[in-house]
Amino acid sequence: MYQDVNVLLGHWPFRKIRKHTLEHLRQVHKENGISGGYVSSINSIFYNDPFDGDEELHEIIRGTEYKHILTVNPTLPGWQRDIVTGIERFGIHGVRIYPTYHDYSLLSPEVSELCAALKTYQLPLFVTKRLEDERLEYILKTKPLDVSELRQFVSGQPDLDIVLLNIRFNEIMAMEKEINSLPRLYFDTSGLKDRVFVVEDLLRKISAEKIVYGSQHPLYTLKSTFFVVDKAEIGEDVKRGIFGGHARFLQRG
Amino acid sequence: MIIDVHTHIWGGDYESSTRQLLEASRRYGISKLYVSGLKSHYPDEAEVESLNADVHRFMKEHPGLVEGYCYVSPVHANALDVLKRGIEDYSMAGMKLWVATFCDDPRAFPLVEQCIEYNVPILIHSFHKAVGQLEFETTGIHVANLAKRYPQAKLLMAHFGGNCYHGIRATRDCPNVWHDFSGSPFRRDDLDYAVEQVGASRIVYGSDMPIAYLVNWGQVEEADLTQEEKEAIYWKNAVQLFDRNYRLS
Repeated sequence: MYQDVNVLLGHWPFRKIRKHTLEHLRQVHKENGISGGYVSSINSIFYNDPFDGDEELHEIIRGTEYKHILTVNPTLPGWQRDIVTGIERFGIHGVRIYPTYHDYSLLSPEVSELCAALKTYQLPLFVTKRLEDERLEYILKTKPLDVSELRQFVSGQPDLDIVLLNIRFNEIMAMEKEINSLPRLYFDTSGLKDRVFVVEDLLRKISAEKIVYGSQHPLYTLKSTFFVVDKAEIGEDVKRGIFGGHARFLQRG
Repeated sequence: MIIDVHTHIWGGDYESSTRQLLEASRRYGISKLYVSGLKSHYPDEAEVESLNADVHRFMKEHPGLVEGYCYVSPVHANALDVLKRGIEDYSMAGMKLWVATFCDDPRAFPLVEQCIEYNVPILIHSFHKAVGQLEFETTGIHVANLAKRYPQAKLLMAHFGGNCYHGIRATRDCPNVWHDFSGSPFRRDDLDYAVEQVGASRIVYGSDMPIAYLVNWGQVEEADLTQEEKEAIYWKNAVQLFDRNYRLS
C-alpha cells in the first residue's frame, strides 16, 4: 500500500498546471503503484478564508481513497472552529501550515496554541518548508523559514506528530539530531532533489523510519521523487517503508 | 539510450565526482557523459587549467563514455589559447561558459567565433533567479543576444534558463539555441512547456551530475511526450548537436 503524504489539488496562481484534477492525480498514482494519499487544497493557501478552499476540496475527494488535510493559517481568527468542523464534516487526517506564505513564526503563540489543539485531537501537523524553489518564485517572494527556527520549533513539540514537507538534504542534515531523537518527527521526499544518490546518503545519517514518500504533485514531477526512492540501492523492505509503511502513523488519530 | 550533456567534475574533487558519474552511468544505463570542470565562480588561470586537465584525464580513462567541454573564462588573457588546447589537444567536444561574464560580453566573442570555426557547441550556464542572482550570471536574454549576433553558433542554454518561463521565452525564436533542463528544479510542467514553445528537437537531456540526476530522468518519463520525442531528448538531439559535420544553415 504505497501512500503519498504530500498531494495538492486546486489552482496554482503563478503558472499553468496541466495535471490539476483528481483524475490526473489518480492516473499518476496508479502508474506508480500508489494507492492513495493525503491531499490539501492549493486554493486554501491563497483564499483569505482558507476553509472555503477546504469546502471545495471536500467536494472533490469525498468518498475517494484520498484523505483530507486541512489548511490552517493560525494568524487568522476562528481556526479552532475550522478544525472541529473539519473533523466532523471532512474527517480530516491532519492539518497543514504554510508559514512562509502566511508570514508568521513557528515560535509564535498562535502556533503553540495550534499544536496544543492538534494534540488534543490526535492529529498530525504538516509543516510546509517551501512549495517552490525560491529562485523560481514569481511575483510573490516568500519569507524564508530558517532551519534554526524549525529546529527550535520541533524540539518544543516532542508529543506531536510532525511531518516536514519539501525539506532539502542539507537542511535535513542540519536537523539530524532532532530528526533522530524525536520519535514523532518525520519528513517527506519532495525536497530530495540534490545529490545523485540522495537516499543512500541520507540513510548513513538518518533512520529510514523517518522518511515518508511525498511528491508534492502536481507542482513537482511525481516520477522524479518516485525514482529517488525506487532507484536507490537499498533494501526492498526499506523502500516499502518509505513508500507507505512509515505513513501508518498518520492514521492512528 | 541516454546521453547526458551536462555533468561536472565539481569543486576540483576528481575522485568523488568521477566515482559518482561512473556509478550513475552503471546504474541508470547512461551511454555518454559530457563533462566540464567547475569550482570557484571567478577562477584564476591556473584553476581553469587544472579543471580542464581533470576533464581530459577522465576522458582518457574512460574513452567512449566520457566527452569533455573546455571550460573557459572570457576575462582571462589566455582564454583563446585555453580553448584551442581543449579542442585541438584534448579533443574536447565543446566549450563551457559559466558565470565569469555574461555570455554576450564582447570578451566572449572571439571564443564564440572560434567555436563556430570548430563547429562545436557552447554550453552556457543560464539562470534567471528571483533571489541570489550572481553579478554576471547569464539569463536567457543574454543567450538570445548572443544567438542573434552569431546565428551560426550552436548554443546550448543550460537549466532552461533557470526559470523556464523567463529563459525559454527569451530564446524560443532563436533556432540556433538548444536547451537542457539540468539542475535540481523538477517542476511538473516545465518540460511540457518547453516542448510546446521550442519543440522536442531543440531539447537535450542534461542532469548537472553530481548535483542531480534522478529528478531529471523522472521529468522525461512523466511529461506528455511520445516515445519518439523521448528518444530525441534522451540522445538523438545530442548526437546531432555534437556532430561536427552538422552545420546550421
